[in-house]
Amino acid sequence: MDSESGPADKPSGGAEELEALVSTTDVELLKRAWRNEKAAPEILRFETHLIDRVAGQLQLMEETVDDFVETGIDPLTVSLYQMDLDRTQFLLRSYLRVRLQKIEKFMFHILKTNELHDRLSKQEKNFTRRYSEVIGKHLEESVLLNLPDNYQSLLRQSTTSEEDDMVPEPQMDAFVVCRAREYVGPSELQDSNKSLATDLLMEMEPGELFFIPFKRIKKLLENGKVDLV
Amino acid sequence: MYGRKASQLVKELTGGEKGQLKAFNDDLFNQVIKECSSHHVGLQALFRNMQEEGLDIQTTRNADFYGALIHHLSLTRNKRCLMAYMYNRAEVIRSLKWKLGRVLPNELVTKLSNSEKEYFKGYSAALDAYMNEMNLDLTVDMVPPKDPYIQVRVLDDIGEVLLTDRSANLARYSMHFLKRTDAEQYICQGLMEELLS
Repeated sequence: MDSESGPADKPSGGAEELEALVSTTDVELLKRAWRNEKAAPEILRFETHLIDRVAGQLQLMEETVDDFVETGIDPLTVSLYQMDLDRTQFLLRSYLRVRLQKIEKFMFHILKTNELHDRLSKQEKNFTRRYSEVIGKHLEESVLLNLPDNYQSLLRQSTTSEEDDMVPEPQMDAFVVCRAREYVGPSELQDSNKSLATDLLMEMEPGELFFIPFKRIKKLLENGKVDLV
Repeated sequence: MYGRKASQLVKELTGGEKGQLKAFNDDLFNQVIKECSSHHVGLQALFRNMQEEGLDIQTTRNADFYGALIHHLSLTRNKRCLMAYMYNRAEVIRSLKWKLGRVLPNELVTKLSNSEKEYFKGYSAALDAYMNEMNLDLTVDMVPPKDPYIQVRVLDDIGEVLLTDRSANLARYSMHFLKRTDAEQYICQGLMEELLS
């Protein structure tokens, strides 16, 4: 499993290469993806390539640590490598966990919104399919099938509802803290709701922090112009 | 009063500690379901009245119509309460999978309804399948690691186990210096405690 990018990508072997490998930006990228995912109210696009690379690197690191243990290298050195490995592993697991939590919470919203469903990884889609059957069956058997005919829908309160009014959705106007990575002009901060944007003309300088409703920086986050903190 | 039982049901969720599960309230739950059916009966009776009087249900706004509306609104409110009750309990049940693994202790199982037991199994299976596909156990490593090794005291006889780097005899009250990832599962099950210096 070779890593695809990064200037420090060299054939592996000695300790220096490992060190170089560890300090590639991939771990930093993962940290960024993890922070963004944690702070964003809705589910973000799955970082397929990044996660593949990180998984490959983790395996490599594990093997190296094992080699160290076998060849009897100084235990302190081993434990330092181990610590680094554990940190990255935590990041990866936590990233996947945060996503699963969001999927569980907004399951039906994600299932009926193609744009969101496309953001999931293949495995997450499988999970969503399996789990939605489980919770659907559970709610139907305990509640819905015991109600009168017109009130049995999982997504609507009754057949007279005009839209799906029983589906939890993420709060897109929740405030988030974000940091600009590059200059962002006032026109880019436009919201689909124009009136909101005009009463608050602003621009972002790189590195500046902002406290702002998520929906106004959603596009910027997707384009990598801002990061959530 | 309409809707009181349903609100009592929802209040059951708030009592007690967060993340703790009370026994499934079969009795109250079924009463609310019954209330829903009687609302439905009431609703249809009023509509029939209107039809017999030759009135158009879509446009007429008489006493019967508003009576039926009350029934309808009470019914949807009851439905929301029932769903909230199940849904929030389901959330706690999911967290049990993360904390305790595949098998629940008996005292917890007795608190679940049959459907909830099935739900727990189904959720476990879906999550396990996901972790299998990812080839990664997500239930370990729940807190950011400070030190890869931690000092622990064993609280119950666990016996000889195979850890990632060696095997160890985890006898009761013995102390060990273990990898955090090895120790975590035992700590979650309450078989071990971390010694903080």
